[in-house]
Amino acid sequence: MKCLSKIIIHLFCLVALATSALADNINLSVAASLKEVINELSDSFAKKNSGVKFLKNYGASGALAKQIESGAPSDIFITANLEWMDYAKNKKLVDTSSVGTFTYNTLVFAGAPGKAASMQDLVKLDTIAIGSPKSVPAGEYAMEAFKKAGIDKQLEKKLVYAKDVRECLMYAERGEVDGAFVYKTDALLAKQAKILFTVPKELYPRVTYPMALTVAGAKNRDAAAFFTYLHGDEAKTLLSKFGFAVR
Amino acid sequence: MQLSLTAEKRFGEFNLSTDFTVSGDRIGVFGISGSGKSTLVSILAGLLEPDSGEIVLDGECLFSSKMRINLPPEQRRIAMVFQQHCLFPHLNVKNNLLYGYKRCPAKFRTIDFDALAAVLKLEGLLERGVTNLSGGEKQRVALGRAILANPRLLLMDEPLSALDDSLRFQIIPYLKSVSEHFGIPYLFISHSLLEMRLMTDSVLVFEKGCMVEQATSEQLARSRMGQSQVGYINLLKLGRPSQLNGLFAYPWGASRLLLSVDAERDESMAELSSKDIILFKQHPEAISARNLLQCTVRSLFRSGRKIGVELDCAGTTLIAEVVQDAVDELGITTGSTIFAAIKASAFRILPG
Amino acid sequence: MTPLSSTDYDAIRLSLQVSVAATLLSLPLGFAVAYLITFVRFRGKIVLEVLVNLPLTLPPVVVGYFLLLLLGKHGWLGSLLNEAGFRIIFTLKAAVIASAVVGFPLLVRSLRIGMETIDPQLINASRTLGARWYDTLLTVILPLSGPGLIAGSSLMFARSLGEFGATIIVAGNIPGVTQTIPLAIYEYASSPTSEKMALSLCLVSVVISVIVLFVHELMARKTARRD
Repeated sequence: MKCLSKIIIHLFCLVALATSALADNINLSVAASLKEVINELSDSFAKKNSGVKFLKNYGASGALAKQIESGAPSDIFITANLEWMDYAKNKKLVDTSSVGTFTYNTLVFAGAPGKAASMQDLVKLDTIAIGSPKSVPAGEYAMEAFKKAGIDKQLEKKLVYAKDVRECLMYAERGEVDGAFVYKTDALLAKQAKILFTVPKELYPRVTYPMALTVAGAKNRDAAAFFTYLHGDEAKTLLSKFGFAVR
Repeated sequence: MQLSLTAEKRFGEFNLSTDFTVSGDRIGVFGISGSGKSTLVSILAGLLEPDSGEIVLDGECLFSSKMRINLPPEQRRIAMVFQQHCLFPHLNVKNNLLYGYKRCPAKFRTIDFDALAAVLKLEGLLERGVTNLSGGEKQRVALGRAILANPRLLLMDEPLSALDDSLRFQIIPYLKSVSEHFGIPYLFISHSLLEMRLMTDSVLVFEKGCMVEQATSEQLARSRMGQSQVGYINLLKLGRPSQLNGLFAYPWGASRLLLSVDAERDESMAELSSKDIILFKQHPEAISARNLLQCTVRSLFRSGRKIGVELDCAGTTLIAEVVQDAVDELGITTGSTIFAAIKASAFRILPG
Repeated sequence: MTPLSSTDYDAIRLSLQVSVAATLLSLPLGFAVAYLITFVRFRGKIVLEVLVNLPLTLPPVVVGYFLLLLLGKHGWLGSLLNEAGFRIIFTLKAAVIASAVVGFPLLVRSLRIGMETIDPQLINASRTLGARWYDTLLTVILPLSGPGLIAGSSLMFARSLGEFGATIIVAGNIPGVTQTIPLAIYEYASSPTSEKMALSLCLVSVVISVIVLFVHELMARKTARRD
């Protein structure tokens, strides 16, 4: 019995510690494609501000928005497209005044070297992976680019729809497809697949990563400090190192 | 039928080790449960492979560990009647009956389906499913199915033990008549001495995985008399009874027996324990027992602490049991005349 | 309720197609494996059992990835098939294979449970009546495996209807080609404007599952009553 009560007391202490720690944490809800860069940024911020702890949640923008809507703890929300930020704004999940742009990305075509050098070369290929246009912004942009380039009809049968950009890249890495439309930042992480060409800017809307403090985050001083840090020069340097476009 | 079998089979604690040759058409395998009867049956049928040994049936080798012969069950032409009827629940009576028949090579097909169905009284059941037949009907179908496979040997593995007493004696005539009628030798496995006597001529006695004795069922019954609580069971073939002063008089051989029960049949079988026969040296003037038979002592035999007295009653035989003291007092010797008294209530008519 | 679009109807059709094909394809092999495990004594049976049950415990994503390694253009089987002009990956065949692999343990399990209820004496009886092992298999074991077959195939069918993780990796998410109901729902659910569409398809999926389970129950009862 004594032993059991000891265990229970210890458990209580643990829970109490955990909840008290929650108060000082910065909860991040960040689009999966930003994982590497946000990891580095949060690490360097934590080094400078001892006592700050991050709880990071990476996922699809939609899933993150739904989680915040359902009450998941979140202070800073960074998405991979404007739509989900608009959704969050409409649902009053974010502090509207804080909404801004974190960074930009560019769409590239990655695959085994020599397969293609321009949009027009795509029609010669057998299979091309893109994200499902309805759910993956990169896929939607790729489709827009095909239309503007006038090759959408020719490519129709060649397209393989993947559930996200990383899966597209995996197919290209393994050679299951001739190439995949992915973000430049993803392509830079690839080992086998190389960037074959960058999709011309005029063919698709700019890939923007909007960022905002959530309603809860606006009240968290540490979160606000990190939010400012993300807008700062140090963050911009690191972003460009990873291949993001900052301007 | 001639069968010689040598087999060793070991699994866990149990060890079967047997070596015998037997010939005849009505062979019994007798033993308590766990004595190795079922293992023997499985080995014979080819369902279980012995560790070593040899099985030769009518000159054909079915199994030989030395010559690496092991005929699969379907090639042995040994059919089985199981303890549980084991009818195929998804087939009707007719298709159950025909299961083995269809698979029997044409040159061996000698049994006529209609004749068999008639002998087993199955004509009216052919289109029925097997799941809602009575226990006796199921066992008759199982028997018919085995016979129709035209086997050279029929294995009956305790075919009566799942049936109640009255059904058991209803089935026995079928078992006997079918194999006689169609000339199929059988091996009858049971732990009941009575069934052995009704069904078999020669009996192999099994104990702890070994064959310990080979005898006729009659010899077996006599030798077990001393250890048995019910003694030796005399089986009496009786004729149609007539009523007499509140009792029933049955013709028995050249004599007449008075019983307290009525059988209402032309022929019936009655049991009488050797313990229920009282012997007198001289004719007693008056006794309460309603049957008094003058007999001649044909022979005496010892079984345990008891002495069996084989009596000749006008050509029919009775076995009575007494202790040695009684033999001495009554001066029972072979050829002496003696009186046997039996109560009218000591008989039990076998159902059937 | 938002009316269903043509790609939704495609998804429903493809889902049914995949489930039917996966179930029918797996039945003979599943029956054989269940037979081996239940009735045949051999060395390494435990290895077979573990292998068969592996997809039950592995995340479907892992199964999908293994299938991609196996059947992909450079996979050891895929490369052979590719030379023969067969492409499995990103086609409906891949979806069928993924569903078949993931549902296989459920099928074998149900079949085994069914086979274990068959009295071994019935099998012995059939052998002594002159039936060879395959004869017994077809005329005794197969007909008496009815309940197991029903349970197994409806479970497998239902599991195939819901298969997502392995399918999306080996078959991709191509509307009208490999996009089954769960994949379509996933796509809808990850876009801010089409939540309602996701709900409509969810409802369809619930309806199909309920029908399958109902049919399963009814058939199970029918066979139970027959005994």
